Amino acid sequence: MMRDFMVVGLSHRTAPVEIRERLAVAPERLQQELREIAATIGVDEALLISTCNRVELYATSDDPIETARTARQTLAQRLPDSAAEAVLYQERGIDVIRHAFRVASSLDSLVVGEPQILGQVKEAFDAAKGAGTVGTLLGRCFTQAFATAKRVRNETGIAEGTVSVSSIACELAKKIFGNLEGRRTLLLGAGEMGESAARTLRQTGTNLHVINRSEDRARALAESCGGRAVPYERLVVELAEADVVVASTASPKFILTPELMKGVVRTRRHRPLFIIDIAVPRDVDPRVGNMDNVFVYDVDDLQQVAEENLAVRAREAAHAERIIEEEVEAFLAWRRSLELAPTIVALRKRFGQVADEELRRALLRLEGISDSDRAVLEAMSRSLVNKLLHQPMMQLKAGAGDPDGALLIDAVRRLFAIAEDALESEMPSTQSSPEANLTHLTPATTGTTGESK
Amino acid sequence: MKAGLFIATAALYAIACILYLFALTRGSIKTQRIPGTVFVAALGAHLAFLMLEAPSPGEPPLADISQILSIASFGLGIAFLLASYRFDVTVLGAFVAPLSLMLFLASGLGSSYAPVSPGVQSAMLTLHIGANILGLVAFGLAFAAGVAYVLQERLLRKRQLSGAFQRLPSLDVLDTIGLRAVLVGFPLLTFGMITGTFWLLRSNGSEFYVSQALGLVAWTIFAGVIVLRVAAGWQGRKAALGTMMGFLFTLLVLVGYAVRAAGGHA
Repeated sequence: MMRDFMVVGLSHRTAPVEIRERLAVAPERLQQELREIAATIGVDEALLISTCNRVELYATSDDPIETARTARQTLAQRLPDSAAEAVLYQERGIDVIRHAFRVASSLDSLVVGEPQILGQVKEAFDAAKGAGTVGTLLGRCFTQAFATAKRVRNETGIAEGTVSVSSIACELAKKIFGNLEGRRTLLLGAGEMGESAARTLRQTGTNLHVINRSEDRARALAESCGGRAVPYERLVVELAEADVVVASTASPKFILTPELMKGVVRTRRHRPLFIIDIAVPRDVDPRVGNMDNVFVYDVDDLQQVAEENLAVRAREAAHAERIIEEEVEAFLAWRRSLELAPTIVALRKRFGQVADEELRRALLRLEGISDSDRAVLEAMSRSLVNKLLHQPMMQLKAGAGDPDGALLIDAVRRLFAIAEDALESEMPSTQSSPEANLTHLTPATTGTTGESK
Repeated sequence: MKAGLFIATAALYAIACILYLFALTRGSIKTQRIPGTVFVAALGAHLAFLMLEAPSPGEPPLADISQILSIASFGLGIAFLLASYRFDVTVLGAFVAPLSLMLFLASGLGSSYAPVSPGVQSAMLTLHIGANILGLVAFGLAFAAGVAYVLQERLLRKRQLSGAFQRLPSLDVLDTIGLRAVLVGFPLLTFGMITGTFWLLRSNGSEFYVSQALGLVAWTIFAGVIVLRVAAGWQGRKAALGTMMGFLFTLLVLVGYAVRAAGGHA
């Protein structure tokens, strides 16, 4: 067998978070963990990616099938028995390269195009380098994965447009107020979605006030988000002072009615007010949205934006997949150029052997031949081999980088019956051989809305 | 030579308009700088054209309404470049460039305009014209910001959040530009009106023209916009609409002058 790639892992596609978190490795433990795993499964090249959405072990081995098997076992040991193997997928050969490129380019992410994954893969790469488990093959694979991710980001719109409700609300606020620094967000009610939106707004530098019927809940929430709890009686004053209002109460009726807001708008003296109504049923009477300088977005509006942006990303993902294929092709060309050398060596050896054998036989029949004549014959046989091989060698070297270079090398091997074991076995080959009853990855389209942590 | 330069300038302005509009609706980050470059080229050609127009080197060509329009168009371009440098609002070119082009083309109709007769020329007149041109430039900028504001607000309310909405600046920035430009333009307009009236009284007696009436309307609108903004905290769409209306009236003043200069005793 020749050295080849393998990956074993699980991701949001195959396993729920309760399972994923069982395998997750803290960044500071990554190097240590990687050394241990590499020793357990007996490989010298290994890399471990661990994010909240995926844990994957990449390795190269002279016997990838066996390595993948032991790697599966090692990972499966950490899983609860019930989940066991079904959540683990594995790939070998060229599919590993494609998968690595897709992961780094955020095509395999829960939210396609999210930017964090590239950084996480880079961290994994650094950890592997630190652990001394990156060799030529994994090194080349991942440096090219980073370049691919960069191409995908620059040449496609895959990362354009926000796709989570919280960050869309934030983007909209920015389109109204410009800089959000020093603006005030009023969180009305204590719904989960509202809290997440308020948190995101808080991160952009707005001050956060929390108002809720239950003051204890308001206080707890304000504390956890770095805001200030305000008594419910101050609602009208707070509305007049806020710039962004996030409404997410459990109230069955509208809380922000046109009657209430009329007074508020008067006190505000035309300052713009952005109201995000995340509550279901809604907290804000739709008529409030018709008031001058008051902008109301409800959860459906935000959701719709998210879906539109996701659709754009899905379209761009198709373009990105083409880039991935180009890069995989480039990687293969590199691998083939590695394989060319042993093929040439073997070819020369084969021709040389034939020439030597024929020369030996001829010399046996030519008795009493002088040393100088003998030298002439030897030179002639060497020269014959060289001349005959010259053109094929040139063609082989020139053609090896082409897309069908593997075919050419394969043809030469078959024509001259060069067995694989005749090649110097250190040299790798990248071919995948599918196996039954194993989870494999299929390039999937866009996932659902969500954020990766 | 002059005609060729005029056509070249107009063509460059027109190309810049198209490129700016394209950048507003579907441009990518890579192509963002192109319209600005073309616009600067248009300003360069325009400057060369103005130098040919100048009565003597260094003296601005302010002799008739056509040259005033041409100078105003040029000034608007320069003011926009300064503003986009300060606020990062390159995309506003989509509204400024058409205005520049329109003023420049209007200046090209100049052959029918009679120049101001040398008899009424005075330092006061130059001051009057200069202040009014600067005021017009400031209001032109405020107008562009106002149009952008109204468009952006509409897109926000209609929930059309892709395309132009993404590329236009925030409502806050547009409102700020509109306010500042009006605050700069208003004293200039006031000064222009006072000097104009003064000069008019001295030269013609008490004849009252439509242009003066329109000027007064524009002045009142801007005064109203400023008072409401400062005293009542007005901002947003209504302020933008008020500003746009004020600018249209200042343009009407120019039209009035043009018609009168062309012979119709408006």
